[in-house]
Amino acid sequence: MNSLPQDMYRELADALGEENISQEPAVMDGYAWQPAMNLTNQKWIPRPAAVVLPATTGEVQAIVRTCNQHRVKFKAHSTGWAAWGGPSQEGELQIDLRRMNRIIELDEKNKFAVVEPYVCCAQLQAEAMKKGLNCHIIGAGPNTSPLASATSGWGYGGTGLSTGYSGRNPLGVEWVLPDGEVLRLGSPGSGAGWFSGDGPGPSLRGIMRGFSGTQGSLGVFTKCAIKLFPWYGPREPRVEGVLLDVKTEPPETEKMFFVVAPSFQKYADISYEIGNAEIAYWFCRSPLNAGVDLFMPRAGDRIFESKPLRALLKAFQHLGVALLSSPSRREVEYQEKVLRKIALEHGCILLDLSKAPGYGFWWWLMGVRSIPTALTFRAGGDFLTSYGSPVEYDNAIRQAEVAKQCKQKYIDQGFFKDDMSDIGWGGIYEGTANWGHCETAAMFDRRDGKAEGRSRYLEDSAETTVQHTLGLGLSNLPPGAWKVYGPKLHNYHLWEARIKKAFDPNSVGDEQWYVPSIDEIEQEASSAEERR
Amino acid sequence: MNDLAALKNDMEGCSRCSHCKWVPMAQIKSWRFAKVCPSVDRYNFHAYSGGGKLIAANSILEGRSEITEAVMEIIYRCQLCGACQVSCQAYRDDIDLADVLLDLRARCVSEGYVLPEHLLMIESMKKEDNTLGLLKADRGAWAKDLDLLDINTQQVEVLFHAGCRYSYDEDLRQTVRNWVRLFRNAGVDLGAAGPEESCCGGRAFEMGYQGEMRNFAEDMIARIKASGASLLVTPCSDCYYTFKYLYPKNGLDPGVKILHAVEYADLLIKQGRLQPGKCAPMRVTYHDPCHLGRRGEIYKAGWSGSNKLHRPVRFKQMGNLGIFDPPRDVIRSIPGIDLVEMERIREYSWCCGAGGGVLEAFPEFAGWTARDRIEEARSVGAEAIVTACPWCERVFKDELKQSGDPMKVYDVIDLIAASWGG
Repeated sequence: MNSLPQDMYRELADALGEENISQEPAVMDGYAWQPAMNLTNQKWIPRPAAVVLPATTGEVQAIVRTCNQHRVKFKAHSTGWAAWGGPSQEGELQIDLRRMNRIIELDEKNKFAVVEPYVCCAQLQAEAMKKGLNCHIIGAGPNTSPLASATSGWGYGGTGLSTGYSGRNPLGVEWVLPDGEVLRLGSPGSGAGWFSGDGPGPSLRGIMRGFSGTQGSLGVFTKCAIKLFPWYGPREPRVEGVLLDVKTEPPETEKMFFVVAPSFQKYADISYEIGNAEIAYWFCRSPLNAGVDLFMPRAGDRIFESKPLRALLKAFQHLGVALLSSPSRREVEYQEKVLRKIALEHGCILLDLSKAPGYGFWWWLMGVRSIPTALTFRAGGDFLTSYGSPVEYDNAIRQAEVAKQCKQKYIDQGFFKDDMSDIGWGGIYEGTANWGHCETAAMFDRRDGKAEGRSRYLEDSAETTVQHTLGLGLSNLPPGAWKVYGPKLHNYHLWEARIKKAFDPNSVGDEQWYVPSIDEIEQEASSAEERR
Repeated sequence: MNDLAALKNDMEGCSRCSHCKWVPMAQIKSWRFAKVCPSVDRYNFHAYSGGGKLIAANSILEGRSEITEAVMEIIYRCQLCGACQVSCQAYRDDIDLADVLLDLRARCVSEGYVLPEHLLMIESMKKEDNTLGLLKADRGAWAKDLDLLDINTQQVEVLFHAGCRYSYDEDLRQTVRNWVRLFRNAGVDLGAAGPEESCCGGRAFEMGYQGEMRNFAEDMIARIKASGASLLVTPCSDCYYTFKYLYPKNGLDPGVKILHAVEYADLLIKQGRLQPGKCAPMRVTYHDPCHLGRRGEIYKAGWSGSNKLHRPVRFKQMGNLGIFDPPRDVIRSIPGIDLVEMERIREYSWCCGAGGGVLEAFPEFAGWTARDRIEEARSVGAEAIVTACPWCERVFKDELKQSGDPMKVYDVIDLIAASWGG
C-alpha cells in the first residue's frame, strides 16, 4: 500500500487538524468501495494513501498546494457516489468535502442559491420551496450534490422541461484550480455577487465543464450558485411515510398524467408538442416495465416470465409521466386541455393519475423529489446507464430504440436482469428548446463477476451510437474513453489535454475520467511511433 | 451469532449511495435537520456511517484491513440507533445493515478489542445483575412502600419489569413509581421481582458480548414462566427491544405478551379505564426512543431464502412498525398539552445519544448527539421534550443541566401524573 510522505502527512495534519486526516486502512477502504460505474470484476477501486476532510476554501487550497509541492495526485468528491469520485491509482489523496455543507445564500428575488459541495438536492429543494422556488434534481436522486453535477458531471432530472439540466444551471462558481489558485467564475470574479456565470468577470464555463464535466480532474469546486425555478406547490408539504408508504395531499393546481404513446416516433412527436406548447412542469419517458422492476422487483421477476403479462406491460412501453403545475386552477385546466388535445391528435392514451389512489405518492416521490431512480440499485444490486446523449429529442428517442435491440442480446446472455429491455428514460429540456436525452438503464448484480459482458455492452452501445449517428452517449465515457472517441470526434481530446496542461502543470489532478496532459499524450504517441 | 461472514453478500450489495447518512429523502424538510446518523455527522469519515461500516466489515473479512484500536473506536462510536438501516432499506431492502453492525461488535470482542467502560458494565452485569455497577441488593429499593405483588412467591397476571436504569436512577425514581400508580388506578394488580429482578441482557448483546445475553434471557424467561404472568409491562425501551426483538431473533421465546408501559397506558385510556386530568398549558414535543420506535419493531421470523430481494416485506425490519402512535395518543389525551412534532420523527427519528454503550464509553459524543435533538425541539417552539425511555431522559437531563438550558424533559407518565396533581 502506498502511503503519503511523512512530511506531507504532517503538513496536512497541521493545516486541517489530526481529526480531519486518516491513513487507517479500514477508513480508507470506505473510499475504495465504489461499485457504481466500476465496470470491472475488481470489487475495489485503488485505495487512497490518505483521506482529508477540509472545511473551508482556504483548507482546500492548502491541500492542493501541498499536493503540488509533493507531486501527489488528488481526487475530491462531494457526496461520493460512484467510482469517478475515487482515486484511479494507489498513492493518491482523497479529498472528502462533506464538511463543506452550507447553503451560503438563497436569493429569492434573483432565483439562485449559493451552495457548498456537500449540500444535497433534497436539502436545497426543501429550503427553496419555503421561498416558492425549486431546484433541478438529477435522475440519480435527491441525495446527490447539486454543485457536483452542475460543475463536474452531467445529469438530467424529470423536471428538465422546466428546470433545464445540471450543466445549464451553474451561475457564479468558486474554483480551486489544480495549482492551488482560487478562481471565481462569472460575477463573483468581479465581486459583483453570484448572479451570473458569464460576467462581469471571467466566463470559462466551457473549460470548467464543457459537455459533461471533468469529474473532478481539474481541481476542486468549493462554491457554486445554482439557478432556481418557480415552485407553485405547497411551501412546506406535509408528507407521511418514507417510500412505498408515502402519503400526501397534492394541491389542486398540480395534476399528473400517464401519457401512453403508440410508438417511439409518436412519443417523440408528443414530446415536441408538449415542449412547444409550453405546458407541463415535468415530462419524462418512464416505461411501465421499468416501474414494475423498480418498485416491485419480486413481482417483476414473475411478471416478466409470463408472456401475456409481458404483452400487457408492452402496451405501456412508450409511457411518459406528465406533471402539470401552475399558480392557478384556471391555468392548470388550460394545460390539461392542451395535453388532452395533443394526446388525441397523436393517438395516445391519457390516464389521469390525480384521480387514482395513491396519487400523492406519485406526485411527491416522482414529480417533486425525484426519488425512484435510485431504486435502480434495488432490482439487481447495481446498474449502468447507456446512450443518452443530449440531442434533438427524436434522435434521443431513436437512441432508446437502438438501445432496446442492443441490450436485449446481453439480457439473453445473462449479463443484465430481464426488464423487457426498453427502459429508456428521459425527456426534453427547457420547453421549446426541443432537445433532450433518453438514457437506457441496465440492471445487474455485480457480485456475479460478469463484468466483461457488461463492458462489451458498453462498447457495443458506443459503436451503435456511431453507426446510427446518434451523438456521443453520455455513459459511454468510462475511463480512457478519449482514446476511442477522440479520433472519431475531431480530436476533441487534444484541446482538453492542452487545457489540462495549462491548468494543471504538475498533473496532480487525477485525470482518469478526463484526459491526461497534452505532454503525456504526445509522449505516448511518440513512443508508439518509435515502436512501430 | 457473530457470523459476520454470513452477511458478506449484504456488505457487497452496498452501492455507497450514502442514503444511510440522511433522513429518508421523502422526509427531508430542511437543511438543518436532514442528517440522521449521529456517528458520521460528528466524525465525518465515511467509515463512521452505516454503509462505511458495511465496507469496513467487508474489508476486514477479506483481510484488506484489520481491527485496530482506531477501528474499534469507529465501530463503538455508534449508538446502534438503527436510523441508517431505515434509510438504507427504503431503497435497498436486500441489505440487513443493523445485523452487520451488531456482528461487527461481536467480532471486536472475539478478537479482544474491548472498551474498558464496556468491560466494567459486563462485569457489573455478571456480578450484580445490572448495567450500572450498583449492588443487586438495592435493586428493589425503587418499589419501597408500593406493596407490589412479589413474583418470587406469588402468581401474578401482569409482571412489571423496571429495568436497570429505572431500578437505580434516583433522579428518575418518581417516574417509575408513577407508572405503578397509574396502572393501580386502572385496577391492574402488578407483580415485580424486587431485588431479584435482573438485567434483560440486551446491552451486553449490543456491545458485542452476544453470549452473555443468553444467560440473562434464560433466567428472565424462567422467572416469567414461574410468575404465571400473561403480560409483561416495562417502562424501559431498551428492555422492550430486547424482549421483542433480540430474544426472538436469538431463538428465545419470552412466552408472554410484552407491552411497553406507554402502550399499556394508551390501551387503558382507550378502554376508559384511565382518565388523564388537566395540565397547565404547555407546548411539548415527543422524542421517539430508538428502542421503542424503529428498533421496537417485533422480530419478523420465518423467512429462510437466500435471495433477500425476494424476501416479502412482512419479513423485513423496516422500522415502520415500531411503537410510534401510542405515546402520542396518550400525550394528546391530556388537556392543556400541545404536542408539536419535530422534523425527524418516528422511524427516521434522531437518536438521543445514549445507546449502544456510547453513554458509558463516549459521554461527550452522547451529549453532542443529545444537544442536536434539544436544538430540534427548540426549533419547533417546544418547552419540553417528552419521551418514554429512561436512557433518553438521563442523557437529555444531563446535557440540559450542564448547559443551563431551561428546556424540560419528561416521561409520558410525568405528564399524566401532573394532570392528576402530581
